[in-house]
Amino acid sequence: MIRGLAGLALFALAVAGGGWGHALAQVALVATWALAGLGLVLVVGQTGQLSLGHGAMLALGAYVQAGLVAAGLPALLALPVAAAAGAALGLLASLPGRRLGGLAFGMSTLAFALIVEELLVRLAPWTGGAAGQVVPAFTVGPWRLSSPVAQAALSVAVLTLAWLACRRLIGSALGRAWRASRDNEAAAMAIGVDVGAVRQAAFVAGGALGALAGALSAHWLGYLSPEQFGLGLSFELLMMVFVGGVRTPSGALLGGVVMVALPQLIAIARGALPVLGGGAAGLEVLLFGAVLVVIVLARPAGLAGDGR
Amino acid sequence: MLAQVLLSGIATGCVYGLVALSFVLVFKATETVSFMQGELLMLGAFAAVLLVEGGGWPVWLALPAAVLVLFAIGALLEGGVLRRALGQPHLTAVLLTFGLGLMLRGGVTMVPAATHQMHRLELPLAGVLSLGPLQLAGEHLAVVLATALACASLAAFFRFTRAGVALRACSEDARVAALMGISPTRMHTLAWALGAALAGFAGVLLAPVTLVHPGMGLIALKAFPAAVIGGLSSLPGALAGGVLVGVFEALTGLYLPDGAKDLAVYGLMLAVLLLFPRGLGGRGAAA
Repeated sequence: MIRGLAGLALFALAVAGGGWGHALAQVALVATWALAGLGLVLVVGQTGQLSLGHGAMLALGAYVQAGLVAAGLPALLALPVAAAAGAALGLLASLPGRRLGGLAFGMSTLAFALIVEELLVRLAPWTGGAAGQVVPAFTVGPWRLSSPVAQAALSVAVLTLAWLACRRLIGSALGRAWRASRDNEAAAMAIGVDVGAVRQAAFVAGGALGALAGALSAHWLGYLSPEQFGLGLSFELLMMVFVGGVRTPSGALLGGVVMVALPQLIAIARGALPVLGGGAAGLEVLLFGAVLVVIVLARPAGLAGDGR
Repeated sequence: MLAQVLLSGIATGCVYGLVALSFVLVFKATETVSFMQGELLMLGAFAAVLLVEGGGWPVWLALPAAVLVLFAIGALLEGGVLRRALGQPHLTAVLLTFGLGLMLRGGVTMVPAATHQMHRLELPLAGVLSLGPLQLAGEHLAVVLATALACASLAAFFRFTRAGVALRACSEDARVAALMGISPTRMHTLAWALGAALAGFAGVLLAPVTLVHPGMGLIALKAFPAAVIGGLSSLPGALAGGVLVGVFEALTGLYLPDGAKDLAVYGLMLAVLLLFPRGLGGRGAAA
């Protein structure tokens, strides 16, 4: 209830600050971030694996979507293909997990993300290389979704579908196996959970969700370059879900709201206090860090969690 | 040509090794992977630059002073923030270091003087040393020598001083160490302060070799693989891993096409992890 009101207040603030179009564009952004965050909720929160390379899933989704749409495939049909590609990439990234555990596996996902980023630069004939490429608008039949209303509606629709799928997965036998392997690996094995396979399944689902988010964001931004998908993105996504609450889907949504709202609030504050002018970029980083530290200390389970 | 490349690789590797050493030291004592070591390195370099350019201190005095400043900053961060994570799940402290790192980087970026001009520390012994046909850069030799010195004093600290032995006991078994009268909180402070000082030392060594800027903490992304290659639980392993990474990087830069250099390190790390999941120097349980 309180969270809903806070969300409404932020939306009203966005409308007041930049008009309806601006506010709805923010809604589309929040939904896209939350979609990517859902994948991390499954991998990190539910299954207890460390993924430092989630940005690679978004990158693949974005590039597959852009390539297919540019080749003439309808955008709505390209979306499932992009998600499937993300799932395959997730499977690939999860392979070292068969041999490595915990931190070492986290490092392997980081290496994986760096390799994907480098490949995007190297495979210039297909990806446009470091210079990037322009992405056509999302079209459904005769309609071009270029207005903020349409973009927000599509993002929220995809997020809702993904949300329901996640809830179902989390409540299923697979979800119970995820949490069992997270809480006690040995006990999970003893009751017959194939821990390795279950963890890989989380990565496949997480990769598909990340790729979906990447595909949508490619259209909303209209432009792709490999540097958008660097390590910074992977770390930002991880930070986002921990701020929101890593164990539940609503944590991804709350984290997405914080990710989008914080820079805007800083922009407003800068307008009100010109003294801040010069160091604004640093201020944003500083505040993100402070938010993370305060939330970890005051609400270790994140904004969506129930206190301690 | 090869010898110069090797020396510069070893010098860079020493810096990686020192940062990796600080990772491992903190990891062994507190079971926390610290994501702020790169930012502490940046802070160390800036502290040295500030003392020399702003305070007019002589270089030989400013460098140790910067390391001491970082020691104090490490103790402050531990006392103010990280101590609250004691007894919480490991992830809590990891996230705290990540948030603190962001705050440090953001804070330094906000200072106009830090971002608007390039800083570089001039060493008095810059120059080229000629050994027969070899041309060796003075800065690189200085980095290697300073690293050797730091490691020797660290080894002596862990072997011969009460605090060093207590820290080792604490990281082996905190409960038994507490029964022997060692205060775990004080050791926690000491570990973070030492980790910060080591990272700051690496920054001070890096300041004469590269430009000092708020983003230089990214070098920790190379030191982390070095620590993993070394086994995460072995201090000599971390240093050896750092030098290995530095040399490997220099050689791939020499023989492989442009851009392969950055990936090669991670390829090396993946190969080592898959062949030796406990790292080259690691013993006991896999990390």
